[in-house]
Amino acid sequence: MAQAAPNTEKLDEHLLEIVRALHGAVKQGVAHLGEPKIVDGAIVDCEEILDVIMAGDVEAWLSEAVA
Amino acid sequence: MFTDKIELNDFGKMDPEYKALLSRVLTIQADCEIGGPHLYVERMLPAAPTKLDQLIVARTAAEEIDHFRKVARVAGDLGTDVTFVLSQPNEKRFVDAFRGLITTWEDNAVFGFLIDRIGRYQLEEFYDCSYLPLQRILPEIVTEELGHIEYGYNKTLELLSKGDEEKERVQNAVDNWYVRALDMFGRSGSARAERYRYWGLKRRTNEQARSDYIKEVNPILTNMGLKIPDPLKGRRYL
Repeated sequence: MAQAAPNTEKLDEHLLEIVRALHGAVKQGVAHLGEPKIVDGAIVDCEEILDVIMAGDVEAWLSEAVA
Repeated sequence: MFTDKIELNDFGKMDPEYKALLSRVLTIQADCEIGGPHLYVERMLPAAPTKLDQLIVARTAAEEIDHFRKVARVAGDLGTDVTFVLSQPNEKRFVDAFRGLITTWEDNAVFGFLIDRIGRYQLEEFYDCSYLPLQRILPEIVTEELGHIEYGYNKTLELLSKGDEEKERVQNAVDNWYVRALDMFGRSGSARAERYRYWGLKRRTNEQARSDYIKEVNPILTNMGLKIPDPLKGRRYL
């Protein structure tokens, strides 16, 4: 049996949460395209979530997940 | 030829070459999945032409991150840590097409229909592959890649409808991505590609896959009123 790489499961769970949050923000925006305040808020949410992912600081994500 | 199908439990008993090749191909796949968002999120999310396009850029990134997650899980379960690709600079990406930054909407649209199509080709290589955990994650990923290709195609058509000046910009983007797309298949006659095939990890040779791609893409470009770029100009891997 192979030994899993460290944090495999934790990272999987964390990224799944992130992906769900992003999809949630996108859905919110798409459902309210005619309401600038809501759609702009949804885009800002997407930008903030993606900024964190693009920074790629896995250690910080996982320590937050534990805390 | 190796024709068995193996599960995670069997991995430890496999030949070292099989282990190394599977680990390598998963690492490259993970890098390509996260490499896409790293190319377009920074500039295209704020600059997409409409709010809906901004949201679709975010949704596309979400799907690619999820593809990364699935590939990283398969790799991690067998002991291959691919998390370093989450933070590596674009210029260190395994595949040349992911080194740099997408800065124009034309490049973003053409990237979708030419380069995400390569993503589909790469994934199709694993259909019926010898490592079942990899095979199992494919259907959803491929379905989402098809959506990215279609979106890129539709956005390219939309741009082409805006007149000659825009058409020239699109053609420039096609000229850029087409040769990079062809390079993504790797060298013809690659010895490593043969070993992938021997171990049932890939189906086609690099040149077969590249030729299939050309046969698929060239008529699409022609039907869109675009010129097919010289397939040899600027190529790094022939």
